[in-house]
Amino acid sequence: MSALVFLQSSLTAGEAMGWMQLLLSFAIGQQSLEHLVRGDRMIFVPRLMLCGAMGLGIGGAWPVWGLWVISLAMLRRYQGPYNGGSDKMTMLILSCLSLAHLAPTPFWQEMALSYLAVQLVLSYFVSGWVKVVNPEWRCGEALCDVFRFSAYPVSEALRSLAERPRFLFVMGWAVILFELVFPLALLDPVALKLALLCAAGFHFSNACFFGLNRFFWIWLCAYPALIWFQDRIF
Amino acid sequence: MLRLLSLFLPTVIPSWRFFKTVAPSPRIEYRLIEGESIGDWQEDRPRPTHLGLGQVLRRMLWNPDWNEQLYLVSCSERLIEAPSQHSVDEINLRVARTLPEGAQMLQFRLVFLSREGARLVKLVEYESTQVALASLQAVAA
Repeated sequence: MSALVFLQSSLTAGEAMGWMQLLLSFAIGQQSLEHLVRGDRMIFVPRLMLCGAMGLGIGGAWPVWGLWVISLAMLRRYQGPYNGGSDKMTMLILSCLSLAHLAPTPFWQEMALSYLAVQLVLSYFVSGWVKVVNPEWRCGEALCDVFRFSAYPVSEALRSLAERPRFLFVMGWAVILFELVFPLALLDPVALKLALLCAAGFHFSNACFFGLNRFFWIWLCAYPALIWFQDRIF
Repeated sequence: MLRLLSLFLPTVIPSWRFFKTVAPSPRIEYRLIEGESIGDWQEDRPRPTHLGLGQVLRRMLWNPDWNEQLYLVSCSERLIEAPSQHSVDEINLRVARTLPEGAQMLQFRLVFLSREGARLVKLVEYESTQVALASLQAVAA
């Protein structure tokens, strides 16, 4: 019963922002601790403190704006994202949250959150689209190559999966189809929650196979915006 | 300012083209040089043979080494696409940090792996100039 209530539940814009800030404080805090053992204390000590403030709800919108400024400083320091897509998603969420806090009216606040929700949907759909139009992905060879020689598998043992083309063919198509049909989940609140659970499972497997742990945590942070968006639009 | 804008815009208007193609994949190899004695090329941070379930789960929360390795992959790709001293310095510093202190010179190269038909091919696409290991380690400390 409680599971059904959860699947059917929705969020207001304010609740979505609150959840995103709580999740972000953990995700960015985790990233910052990893960076701190590598140095760059001038950036990551303040970043960690702002995460603490945001997680505890101290300082209103200031920690969000502060984290946005620090993310900009990180782009300059590393001359681009340190961790590819996960840093891009971090910056995107912080930009949308910052604008939502700055918005003069609820309409513009909703526009900022909607932009994030649409980008989240696109992050799955576009990934699926670029794969399905590529013959190497359609025949399964691309996923074999990912395991065979790309820099991503976290251990040499995982490379042996390249010798199981039928398994990878099925897995590759499962990912492509999931990414392509993801936008349809917006039509129903229960379907959306189930799709988000599947998406989280997908990111979890990427973290296990390819060490992309930051992607897992940061994509979760954007989910409340999509849950709010689905209820608002449909 | 324009440079910062060019770094910022792709984060708020992302392309989301993850794994559009599986491009040639970089590996960093380094060697130490002491006078006339030139060491063999060695792979920087070779991945472990096997990871247990516990290690995989722990890496969900604590994965700084691997994330730094992914950053070095980005630096290697950037160095080929748009060469910059920043990428060279980042690779030099982070390779030097993993090595024991020494008076040798450090040199790295970028080897790109790709598939041609059924076989894997390695292509050396970049070789750095030599830098004193001690000076890099002093900066990295």
